[in-house]
Amino acid sequence: MIDVARVDYWAANGSGPFHRASVLSKLLFLAFVVAAAVASRDPYPLVAGTGMLIVLAALAGLPWAVIGALSLYAAVFALLYAVSLRGDGWTYALLLLKAVTPAYAVGMVIVSTPYPRIFSFLSAFLPEILAAGLFMTYRTLFLLLDMMDNFGTAIRLRGGFSPGNIVKNSRNVAKGIGGLLVRAVERSTRLYAVMVVRGYNGKMAETTVGAIGLNDWLPVGTGIAVLTTVILWR
Amino acid sequence: MHIPDGILPVWLWASGFLLMACLLAFSLYRLRGMDMKKKIPLLGVLSAVMLVAMTLEIIPIAYHLNLSVATGILLGPSLGFVAAVIVNLMLAFLGHGGITVIGLNTILLGAEAMLGHTFFYILTDKLSTYWRASLATVLALLLVSLLLITIVGISHVDPQAYRHERGHDAELERGHDAAVPSSLATFAIVVLSLGVIGWIIEGAITGAVIRFISQVRPDLLAHTLHKDTCRTDPSRCAP
Repeated sequence: MIDVARVDYWAANGSGPFHRASVLSKLLFLAFVVAAAVASRDPYPLVAGTGMLIVLAALAGLPWAVIGALSLYAAVFALLYAVSLRGDGWTYALLLLKAVTPAYAVGMVIVSTPYPRIFSFLSAFLPEILAAGLFMTYRTLFLLLDMMDNFGTAIRLRGGFSPGNIVKNSRNVAKGIGGLLVRAVERSTRLYAVMVVRGYNGKMAETTVGAIGLNDWLPVGTGIAVLTTVILWR
Repeated sequence: MHIPDGILPVWLWASGFLLMACLLAFSLYRLRGMDMKKKIPLLGVLSAVMLVAMTLEIIPIAYHLNLSVATGILLGPSLGFVAAVIVNLMLAFLGHGGITVIGLNTILLGAEAMLGHTFFYILTDKLSTYWRASLATVLALLLVSLLLITIVGISHVDPQAYRHERGHDAELERGHDAAVPSSLATFAIVVLSLGVIGWIIEGAITGAVIRFISQVRPDLLAHTLHKDTCRTDPSRCAP
């Protein structure tokens, strides 16, 4: 999995044109790129679209190479799916690009938008339990990753990790996860108590949809350009 | 498996969203009497635990833990499904899965939680907690893998259609296709043969985790946490 903390840092600390754009415009950009990937019947317009995204990411000061590496994760699963198709290299190239192009766009969105802003937007459309659950999951994820990191260090220092010994490693990892789970549940109970004291009434998510403004021309325009390229190619 | 965007046909992922919405509505209906204020922190924590478990990759077979069955056992089927929705939304925005396939991926992950919970309580009490949880995990993952293969099977786009658009000679292509054996079987063999190693590891770890919890915090397994079991079998609920 990606380094969530690093992504969060980029999202919160950038000041480029993509960072200044609203969540609505960036999700529209994502929707256009996904639509382009779905509609494409040829790898070439997707090559052009991905090229456009890479150039835009570089010009906007986003970590374009890291986003590229991140998007290759989708390629692994696309290749596994491609195994199930009776296709040739051309078909595999199309499948690969259909996976990588939207993944690159997702990468551009997440390195330029703090997660709480995305969840705030989504909470306008999702049931309360999901919106609040997303916030709570995000909040807890960093704590748990830190706890897991400490556990990984401890297990190595105490000789609990033996390369090649899957049985021993699995047993120790299971105990670590069990401890993590119990601590997480206890933490959630404490958290609930604190929230009640602070006036929690079952609603956590601030719902902000926003509107399209002057800073939004870049993501919306790029999304439309990628989709138009695919449509014209057909 | 995290299916990327743009690969599956539109009708299939749209159906996935529809089915996910129906299952989510049903889960929320079953949870209507629950104290949501109390459950949301727990839901968030266990969803986060699933995400953290997914960072633990077993490198030789590229398998990562899910802990979806453990979550299902601890949260119950309805809240377990809600946790699956949250995890897949988070994964989509972590670049770990597709946006369009959130529905299908959620159905797969949610099915693991729901089936795992069901098997855990169907299996006889004569088995130890470890073996009940392990067997429930292996059975749930086996069924979900078969579901995945079914989805991939019914999703197959016809590569021939692409080639016609490129103006290839149809006779040549038919000759080429005849020489290529149906590879859904190959896909199934790859998924099941690699999967079985993963299921055993996940089963062993889930069994050990649930046994650990039953020793340290048995109240978590007494299911005061969710109302489903309390409603159907009040004897399992702590007073």
